[in-house]
Amino acid sequence: MTEQEALHQRFNKVWRNLPGWGTLAAVNHTSVGRRFMLTGAIFFLIGGLLALLIRMQLALPGQEFLNPDVYSQVFTMHGTVMMFLFAIPILEGAAIYLIPKMIGARDLIFPRLGALGYYCYLFGGIIVISSLLLGMAPSSGWFMYTPLSSTEFSPGPGSDFWLLGITFVEISSVSAGIELVVAILRSRTPGMTLSKMPIFCWYILVTALMIVFGFPPLILASILLELERAAGMPFFDVAAGGDPVLWQHLFWLFGHPEVYIIFLPAAGIVSTILPVFTGRPLVGYRWVVMAVILTGFISFGLWAHHMFTVGIPQLAQAFFSMASMLVAIPTAIQVFAWLATLWAGRVVYSLPMLWVFGFLFVFVLGGLTGVMLAMVPFNWQVHDTHFVVAHLHYVLVGGMLFPLIGGLYYWLPHFSGRMPSERLGRWGFGLVFVGFNATFFLMHLTGLLGMPRRVDTYETGFGWDWLNMLSSVGSFVIAMGVAIIIIDVLLHFRFGRKAGNNPWNADTLEWTTGTPPTMYNFASLPEINSRHPLWDNPELLQSIPAGEHGLTQIEHGRRETFGTDAITGKLKEVMLLPTNSWLPLLVASSLAVVCISLLTRSYLAAVVITIVAAIFLFRWSWENGGHPLAAPLGDKEPVEAPLQSRTLDGSGLWGMVITLLADGALFLALLFGWLYLWAVAPNWTLPDESLVSLPVMAWSGAFLTFATWWYCRAVKQLKAGDDTGLQTRFWVVTAAGAIHLVLLVGVTLVSPLAITELAHDAVLLVMLMFLIFHSSISVIATALQALRVRYGYVSKELPYEPVVLQPLWLFSLATFWCSVASFLLLPIAWGAA
Amino acid sequence: MKTLRAHPLHLFAGPLLWAIWYVVLYSGQALGCETAPPPANAGVWTWLNGLLLLHTLVFAVVLLYLTWLAHRSTPAESGNGRFILKVSTGVYLVATIAVLAIGLQSVIYPPCV
Repeated sequence: MTEQEALHQRFNKVWRNLPGWGTLAAVNHTSVGRRFMLTGAIFFLIGGLLALLIRMQLALPGQEFLNPDVYSQVFTMHGTVMMFLFAIPILEGAAIYLIPKMIGARDLIFPRLGALGYYCYLFGGIIVISSLLLGMAPSSGWFMYTPLSSTEFSPGPGSDFWLLGITFVEISSVSAGIELVVAILRSRTPGMTLSKMPIFCWYILVTALMIVFGFPPLILASILLELERAAGMPFFDVAAGGDPVLWQHLFWLFGHPEVYIIFLPAAGIVSTILPVFTGRPLVGYRWVVMAVILTGFISFGLWAHHMFTVGIPQLAQAFFSMASMLVAIPTAIQVFAWLATLWAGRVVYSLPMLWVFGFLFVFVLGGLTGVMLAMVPFNWQVHDTHFVVAHLHYVLVGGMLFPLIGGLYYWLPHFSGRMPSERLGRWGFGLVFVGFNATFFLMHLTGLLGMPRRVDTYETGFGWDWLNMLSSVGSFVIAMGVAIIIIDVLLHFRFGRKAGNNPWNADTLEWTTGTPPTMYNFASLPEINSRHPLWDNPELLQSIPAGEHGLTQIEHGRRETFGTDAITGKLKEVMLLPTNSWLPLLVASSLAVVCISLLTRSYLAAVVITIVAAIFLFRWSWENGGHPLAAPLGDKEPVEAPLQSRTLDGSGLWGMVITLLADGALFLALLFGWLYLWAVAPNWTLPDESLVSLPVMAWSGAFLTFATWWYCRAVKQLKAGDDTGLQTRFWVVTAAGAIHLVLLVGVTLVSPLAITELAHDAVLLVMLMFLIFHSSISVIATALQALRVRYGYVSKELPYEPVVLQPLWLFSLATFWCSVASFLLLPIAWGAA
Repeated sequence: MKTLRAHPLHLFAGPLLWAIWYVVLYSGQALGCETAPPPANAGVWTWLNGLLLLHTLVFAVVLLYLTWLAHRSTPAESGNGRFILKVSTGVYLVATIAVLAIGLQSVIYPPCV
């Protein structure tokens, strides 16, 4: 056995998954990423089958193949599955799989969070799909507009399946977003500054931040609508002071950025592939980074262009119309950068490049119709017609599916170590490209001729017949192309020729991890001083697996990777990564039972299982830092840098801050909802005096303020290297926080809120529940910290965890007083004025 | 001479200012129309349009100034710092353009019709 093989065996022993069923406890990013992608691919096939059903129904006028109700379920589920269960998760899976390998890390920073996210996605997806098999699928369209999705017009459980199942899936999206942001910023291999990051990482960084800010409004909207349906809280009921248009705002606050959340990773794939097949660096790296950042922001300012027909004043429409046109600027910058790269390089027309060319053609057409739709008068004309359906498929299929399949062919040798069939691949591309344009280009015409979307049938004589027939034929041509791609992928595992280590002569680090990759990615972590490490230093392909770089110790049995400075890439600490664990599966399973209990209206069971899930989660938090199962003091400390549990600025703090950004976005969405209903809802009523006792809230806030202040003092003292009396301080904080919590719960219970009669009171209850939730976590987590001090898991040598918890206390304090000011004091002040 | 330090915050500060400006613009227009809507026949020369335009110009001037500062500070930096400031210059500039392109609509349309 060579020295390199011996090193591999030692690493493999620490990093491998458990055998047999134990593989379900796997947390490493390679396994989790593959599972995300495989599951996403299965959902894609389900969504595709639903699309074929739609096209079969519309192929001829007057068809009765599907009845109207089933047809509504089918098109709703097609959109839902493709958007929520395929597009986002599969791209997240690709990012989860690729990012650590590209930045020179052994795993993502929060591996158990990734595993939890996967199981939430899987179980949520199964719950949503099961509604279809039970014949009670949602039927209000994938954006679930109220009041159509409300109890009055959708009395069955279909909407509940959507709201609960999709919210469950969104836990997965947000958790992936958080861990990707922190991983990219804090675990790049030494020397990899921001300006030397692979361009794909910039795309994923911006996308992940968009997820962090973009998903909470939909999570809030789903919670509100489910509360309306299950408990009769009338957020969207005009008669009770609600407003159905609030749903549209909250949905599209998420929904439009989501288009770019889907597009950006795919564009990142294109920006990664193009340089490899043109043999030169991407033209305008800086311009592309700028464009990606701008796209991330501007895409949040377009949401109302989906609502041009709901009665918004012309000036506001003009704002959104102009913003919709402006987003074409950063997109065009990227397109021109790609064209310039093609122009300046020597193009190799391999399979991945075919898909890139297909992407450029289809996506640019979709972008052009997007600019057309940004014009308000044109938008009015084609609103809710097949023109819009054609546009969104050109943008999403062109902007996401084409690059995704290009990426699949590009990284297939990385997954399997074998090459795909060029011939089958070209047939697959040809059929999908021709079929796609046949299906959807003609749909522009059908829409311009006035055919509304979502109608289950139509009469002959409008000139739609032949267009629909050809569209349907095209959809089956796409299906043939997809079938050939699947066959190609399946066959290549057995018949594909061996790929070697870097078959495309790529420039990025993932190709040094082996084809297929090892579970630990890198036996040694290199110093990187180039944007194209494998072009500038090809011997990395041999020196990394040979263990010639950093962090090669593995005898301690811990999973470790380097933690570096977010900007300069300088080495700061060694990060301890959790090993295989059943806790993510247990937590996700519990949450799935909670979800099913809510669906079946078994609320007592839901409460009990929620407590079980919380116990699992707190147990999860227990096995960290200086715990014997993690890295107790003095246990073979690393030589390159300290373990992060011995530092004050570890990944946990970053994870907490990014999580609180998502949390803050949800709070802001709630505040927006409150102000929106107040300003717009015609029957909104403010009581003459506050229904929630202000003196009790003031006392509750005073205790919270004291607890937060005392906690911050304890942390300051700990940072100064003094841990005397730390346990007592934490118990004092816990006690003060508990009194605050008791007062808050008490005031919630005794306030005379008519939550089923007035939207105003219902929103107040949601606000109070938000505060109770956060304060509860702060108090319990601090009590656990006090216990951990007692057990010796937290001390001046292990100061990491209290620092992580500090932002949560500050967040709880800020949202408490902000809520008191906005929800309780402002209405009084307004009434007095 | 005032210069900018090559802090990564500058990569996001331009669009962040744009976002704050945009939220205030849209909500200000909506709240203005709810609480004290100018007469429909008043055209574009109303107090609300004036306020929105002033708001736009203030932010545009600030963003343009930051663009200039970032541009002027770039030569003094190298490596990663230079990268951050060069990208930031472009980001500030496009944010300025976005503020003006969107905000100047208030000299074209009446606010509440």
